[in-house]
Amino acid sequence: MLGLLWSRVCGLDSPVHLTRAEATRRVLSLELNKDRDVERMHENGINTLDIDPVEGRYMLSGGSDCMIVLYDLENLTKKPSFTCKALCKIGKGHPDVHKFSVETVQWYPHDTGLFTSSSFDKTLKIWDTNSLRLAELFQFDGNVYSHHMSPLATKHSLIAVGTKNPKVQLCDLKSGSSSHILQGHRGEVLSVCWSPRYDFILATASTDSRVKLWDIRKASGCLITLDQHNGEKSKSSSEAMNTAHNGRVNGLCFSSDGLHLLTLGTDNRMRLWNSATGENTLVNYGKISNTSRKCMKFTVSAACNPDFAFVPVDSTIAVYTIHTGEKISVLKGHYSDVDCCVFHPFYQNLYSGGKDCDILAWVPAMREPVPDEDSEKSRSQAHIHPAFQDAWSSSEEDE
Amino acid sequence: MDQRLEQLVEALTTSGEPELNPKQLKELKQICKSSDEHIRHVYHLLMTQLNQEHAEIRLSAFQIVSELFARSHQFRTLLIDNFQEFLELTVETNYLQPLPPPIEVAQKMKTLAIKAVQEWHEKFGEAYKKLSLGYNFLKQKKKVDFQDVRARTLAQRKREEEKQKRLETIYQEKAKRAKTEMEGMMADIQFCLTEMENCFKLLLPDPDEFNLIQEDTGENSSSSQPKPNRVLPSQSCDLDDEQPCCSKDLPAVGPSHENGVEKTSKDSDSEESDDDFEAVEESFIRDHGFGSHKYSLDIEISRDLKVSENEDNTDVVNSLKDSQKLAKNKYWPSLQSWIQIFTKAGITDESLRCAIDLKNKLEAAMKKHKEMNIECTTRERKVVRVSDDEEEDDFEEVPEKEGYEPHIPDHLRAEYGLEPSPSSSSSSSVKKIEVRKPAQSLAAPKRKRNDDELDPTCAAATLKVMRDKISAHSSSSGKNSNSKNPKREDELSRAPVVPFGIDLHFWGKEQPTAGKILKFSSQHRFWAPNETEEETENKELEAMLKTRYISFPGKFEPVTHKCRAPLPNGSLCERQDRIKCPFHGKIIPRNEIGVPINPKDREREAKEKFEKRATEQDWRDPELMREIEQATGEDLGSSRIAGKSKKKGKKKKYPNLTDLKQEANTTRFRLEKKVFHPGSVKRVISAMNQMDKRRHEKFANQFNYALN
Repeated sequence: MLGLLWSRVCGLDSPVHLTRAEATRRVLSLELNKDRDVERMHENGINTLDIDPVEGRYMLSGGSDCMIVLYDLENLTKKPSFTCKALCKIGKGHPDVHKFSVETVQWYPHDTGLFTSSSFDKTLKIWDTNSLRLAELFQFDGNVYSHHMSPLATKHSLIAVGTKNPKVQLCDLKSGSSSHILQGHRGEVLSVCWSPRYDFILATASTDSRVKLWDIRKASGCLITLDQHNGEKSKSSSEAMNTAHNGRVNGLCFSSDGLHLLTLGTDNRMRLWNSATGENTLVNYGKISNTSRKCMKFTVSAACNPDFAFVPVDSTIAVYTIHTGEKISVLKGHYSDVDCCVFHPFYQNLYSGGKDCDILAWVPAMREPVPDEDSEKSRSQAHIHPAFQDAWSSSEEDE
Repeated sequence: MDQRLEQLVEALTTSGEPELNPKQLKELKQICKSSDEHIRHVYHLLMTQLNQEHAEIRLSAFQIVSELFARSHQFRTLLIDNFQEFLELTVETNYLQPLPPPIEVAQKMKTLAIKAVQEWHEKFGEAYKKLSLGYNFLKQKKKVDFQDVRARTLAQRKREEEKQKRLETIYQEKAKRAKTEMEGMMADIQFCLTEMENCFKLLLPDPDEFNLIQEDTGENSSSSQPKPNRVLPSQSCDLDDEQPCCSKDLPAVGPSHENGVEKTSKDSDSEESDDDFEAVEESFIRDHGFGSHKYSLDIEISRDLKVSENEDNTDVVNSLKDSQKLAKNKYWPSLQSWIQIFTKAGITDESLRCAIDLKNKLEAAMKKHKEMNIECTTRERKVVRVSDDEEEDDFEEVPEKEGYEPHIPDHLRAEYGLEPSPSSSSSSSVKKIEVRKPAQSLAAPKRKRNDDELDPTCAAATLKVMRDKISAHSSSSGKNSNSKNPKREDELSRAPVVPFGIDLHFWGKEQPTAGKILKFSSQHRFWAPNETEEETENKELEAMLKTRYISFPGKFEPVTHKCRAPLPNGSLCERQDRIKCPFHGKIIPRNEIGVPINPKDREREAKEKFEKRATEQDWRDPELMREIEQATGEDLGSSRIAGKSKKKGKKKKYPNLTDLKQEANTTRFRLEKKVFHPGSVKRVISAMNQMDKRRHEKFANQFNYALN
């Protein structure tokens, strides 16, 4: 790191180089930290997490117990040990609380004054953060599996909603009504995701094993249906036969630069696609156990080189490099299935929620102090927590 | 060192003891203490042992784990890194992965593990994040009550809940079925009830209706003709004689106050002061010829009702009895079961109430029936009576008869050409004797010859022939055997009884047509050769007609002796064959330890044994065979020849552990082994395939069979 700093000072490296290297190092050293806790609020499994993209300070969580909780992640106490406090919650007693399990929560991308939540009670709700009141309500005729707002769109404010209905609906916040319907899927739409690179590109994944890319300005249909065989097997047949997985597709995530798309299917595979051409890059991630019937929320790291994907696998979170498919590490900490994880781009923290009702914070490990002298070593030994010391009984030492 | 570690872990975990061997444990700790490398090794060894499907192994492994956990930081980090799995294996956090048997040991391990987790959390919780997370997980998500000794985790509760749920759905289904059944049967039950009710009314008027009669008499005083027909004729006619004189002219009140009405007249004030009642009273007095209304009538109605069946009410009683039987045998039990089903399913709506109502009604009706104490002349008796009466009848109904009749009623004996039997009651028995034991009873007193006896179609003729024959026989043989009478009688009593046949008919005589067959040489209807009849004799047929087969198997004598050959397990053979035991050959007398008593036999047996051993040993050396087997990997059957003790030792690796397979050796398991044996399954499959094939061949041309 000193070398990097020195070359940065000398102007040998580009500005991003140092940050990238440091971010990558931190991601690689992610571990469960005893100093960082998230207050336990949910009484049932946690389905979704979202960190606000503006300040990176507030986190929303939605659980199967119909509750939405707002956490403050900032440590202002200046002590290493810190518990993220829940600032407020929308739970039982609130007049507009969701009736059934909350599936997705998302901040409004440009401001923390607004957030959205969708639930199995067939509604999508827009909330005013400051007053914690319902600002807008969209009703649908099926369970809402997921919704997403474009993180960079300034020309439109559309929310894509995937429901039990095969038609993807686009709800316009400006008019307060659903403006578009995207037809093409034949099964429930489990996941929707806007491209972080282009305003009007949307990806949707469905139980009919298809992943479609849409340009919402194009009226006639989808842009591409992703094909896992890259058209080799189904040359003769039409594009309608293309499938992305051999099973439900229940996870979607664009890479941070938006050039690639990751999909997760119940055939226990993850696939990486070129989002511009729709080509399967054929990266092999190995088996990723996945039997969920709902949307899986996995995430990718930002500003790292190489990029990493954090994928919930049963009760662990597996860390893969996106472009080589290498499994870097497995984060073990949850005692039950993990449903969602979210990456904090500023501090390279990872938050994960699962069916054991806990939100765990994965924090980069501190650099170990390099021991210089014997005296220092003995001193550092003294500082070690008594629990870390061995306790062999004296009677055994005698023998 | 590593090898020693492995040995120690294996020895400790497979000891099967509830406590660890302190000596071995100390040695293990010593080794672990020496380096972190050993701790890692021991951790992996212990995890593999914890994964074993045997609670005793797991318990011992867990005990070692807890010993090491308290001592080594390295071990703690390793274990806590994999704490989920550890909890799954010891505390049963995953209900799809239950703890292995034996159950008691598993329970013990669970409680110990929960206690240990709590202790660890208190001691190391703040230092190891995952440990406290695990503790919280157990506490909040799995709802483990750390104070609760029984430590029922959520998994257990979940399983119980599931069971409960399943039961509930079954009950609901049952209730639903019962409901539909009840709806179907409701009408029948109601009908039965009303029928019974009506029968009761017909048999015994309701006491409430007496008042009605009285009111009627009061109101219709002018007509003064109350309705006696409300009362059953049976009672009225009975009562006519019993009624005291003063009530004879009281047609209304008298009969209605049925059996044993006693009337005593007494001077007393009429306690009724109602005006209209008085009017009624006056007319009553006038109608019934009382001097004044200063009577007080005390009417005693006897409580014990008794309705007797007679010709007037037979139909009513019968139908009542039928419906009572139906109610008792069919409706009441089904109602009972429905109510049970409803209460079990927790249904408390219309149907349950309805069922209870119906049941109460039925019970009431049945009680009433019991109280009525109907004196029934049973139908069987009636039938008998009818047959008795027939004597006086004019032979209107002649029962069907075919061929020989063993019983001839007295009045018909003349018709049959028989003398009247000495006692009509014993006629049948006498007859029986005559037929069954002709030799004994037909030497009876001489009877008058009847002309009828000449008629061969009469039964009398047959009897006469038999009688003659037997008397002739007995006279021929009996004359000189008079002196040996007791002996003969004894023999007679032992002699088998044979049914009458054609051979007996021609006993001692030449059968005229025996074995003769009429032969027609021409098959034409009209044209026949002159010699129309041609008899040919058939020897076989003749023999068949003349002979009789009497099977005389003799008496079965159970075998009392046993084989008693010594068995390898030390006991004696218990087989009871008559002559030869299928395992040990001819049965010979042996003493109580199974050694033959005859010295010759003993010698032979010893020789056989020696020969057998010799033949086995000379070409099949088990040691050699085992070596060959190991080298080639083929089973030559050395295990069969080898001693049993060796086999056992090989099979039971850890003799101290509870044998789980032993517990699994239930009837079900054994049956399963038979039924699902690959050979038998194969046989069944081939049989079924054949059946399928046959059908396909049979219906090959019909398209609707072609597909399945």
